[in-house]
Amino acid sequence: MADVQLIILFTSMALVVIGLYAAIFVDNIIKKIIGISFIEEGANLFIVAIGYKPGGVVPILMPGMDTSWFATNAAYPLPFGLVLTSIVIGASTLAVMLALVMVLYRRYGTLSTKVMLADTSKQEEYNE
Amino acid sequence: MNELIPLMVIVPLMAALVISAFSRFNTLTKALAFIVALCLPIIPLASNYGLHYFGGYEPILDNVTNVMYHPAITYSFTFLQQIFIAGVGLLTFLVVFIYLTKYRKVSGPYLFLLFLGTAAVTAMILTDDIFHMFVFFEILALAQVGIVAASSIDYSYEMALKYMILGSIGSPMMLLGIGFLLALTGSVNVTDIVAAVHNGLVNVKSPVFLLSLGLIFFGWLYASGLPPFHTIKSGIYSKAEPHGAALLQSFTVISMISIVLIMFRIYSTLPIFEVLIVFFSILAMILGVSLALTQTDFRRMIGFLAVGELGFIGLGIGLGTQFAITAGLFQALNEIIITALLFIGFGAIVNATDEVDTRKLGGLLAQHPKVSIMLLIGGLAMAGVPPLSGFQSKLMLVQASLSCGYPELSILAIMVSIATFVVFVKTYYTMFLKPKPKELELEGKEVPRSMIIVMGVLLVIIILLGVFPDVVTNGISNFVGGIL
Repeated sequence: MADVQLIILFTSMALVVIGLYAAIFVDNIIKKIIGISFIEEGANLFIVAIGYKPGGVVPILMPGMDTSWFATNAAYPLPFGLVLTSIVIGASTLAVMLALVMVLYRRYGTLSTKVMLADTSKQEEYNE
Repeated sequence: MNELIPLMVIVPLMAALVISAFSRFNTLTKALAFIVALCLPIIPLASNYGLHYFGGYEPILDNVTNVMYHPAITYSFTFLQQIFIAGVGLLTFLVVFIYLTKYRKVSGPYLFLLFLGTAAVTAMILTDDIFHMFVFFEILALAQVGIVAASSIDYSYEMALKYMILGSIGSPMMLLGIGFLLALTGSVNVTDIVAAVHNGLVNVKSPVFLLSLGLIFFGWLYASGLPPFHTIKSGIYSKAEPHGAALLQSFTVISMISIVLIMFRIYSTLPIFEVLIVFFSILAMILGVSLALTQTDFRRMIGFLAVGELGFIGLGIGLGTQFAITAGLFQALNEIIITALLFIGFGAIVNATDEVDTRKLGGLLAQHPKVSIMLLIGGLAMAGVPPLSGFQSKLMLVQASLSCGYPELSILAIMVSIATFVVFVKTYYTMFLKPKPKELELEGKEVPRSMIIVMGVLLVIIILLGVFPDVVTNGISNFVGGIL
């Protein structure tokens, strides 16, 4: 079962690497933002993997459960709590980024970062 | 338990939400914003030092390992937190005061962003929980982006998006670093992590521990605007409204010291940690002042100078002795006040001339003597001229470099200070002393009185800190002795 954790860790690393490639090298701003989301989700998946316990149970103490059995078998809940918060923050930053992109798309009529995020002097030339 | 400690975060956070909700009622919004902003510097001054455990969950002694662990988020409030939270609270009040008096109809969402940023940096410097710090680091990034995007300056949206994209790469890197620490220690409480490191439960030479340092360090570089993020950081200062830029730079400084103090506690056993901090700080000092020298937009020039000053803070902390760290933290406090004065002062000039290009300005000394003199003193304080506050902190940094056995660093610090002086004098001459260009129209444009009052308040603090530095440095030194 430990292999499951390893697979999750490799998947999270793959997400981060793919995301970094897209965020740095891809010109289309939407694809860039998708890449950024990949990085965030890779980090979240990595933290989820830390809390994984082979054969573990959900860390909620139900009535009638033996507390010592629960302490031995429950998964570590802290990483899941952290990831929940991280997902909410990620959604907020994603929303703000997309809102900014909408405004800039209306202004420039393109999704190319070479145009909309170029140096100010080049943008002035483009507007002219 | 001190119930006032969480109020330092809760008050601006709740105020932000309430003001945003009732922004249709202009007079109510103005009154509420003013009252809350006035409370911000008062609460930390009225509060006692101590710890606050959220939910009342106090530390528990593990009977097996005989180590205390912290089950809840902990806020730690000492003299250092008090002086910085009161400082940023006062600055927020002054910035809100300028905003409320400058515009007849105020924007609730803009005030929301100002208060949200203040709440975020307050939480960052109070918290003893690295994930909690990360959460507010992200909230701060959102507030910063909002403040930039809300300005009426051209290309502010573009700059906000650039900053957001870079932040969205830097933040997950920091989160991954925190994840590695969690995997190694099972905790996100800094005191617990430090205990695990010092008790030998973590192999400090393991690749995972080193990787966590690298990732959190990358996030810190982004938060601080140190190279390679210096250009974007000075860019967002230049695209924000001047009073907004004054607050933004204080957010940067406080987030910088919050993260670096946490890193220092965890990683100070690694020799490479201090080398990295000193290296990037020197880079920031050199690049900041060199790029400032080439600017013709004075907002951008101040932005690069502010980045260069951040290098001084990092230098003090990187040297790692009690005296050096005290000097670095004192420099941080001075930078917040001095740079705020410069941003507001140059903002007043923009207000009076509608011009940001130094080549198109001139002869402003006769037109705006009060602003000119206060700006001159502010610039001299940044360059480290006695008896102003910048001189005291830079002198301490030079002494610290010498006492640590690095005379070359002290020479570099003095050279960068001289270069800062040259940059400022060159800009000052061009704007204020050179004859006025014929094309420059100055009739009928006045500097808002609120800006002059705020500059006066900041100037008094600069002079007081320069004459009586011990009032602050003794308390900071005691704090630093505690973490060492």
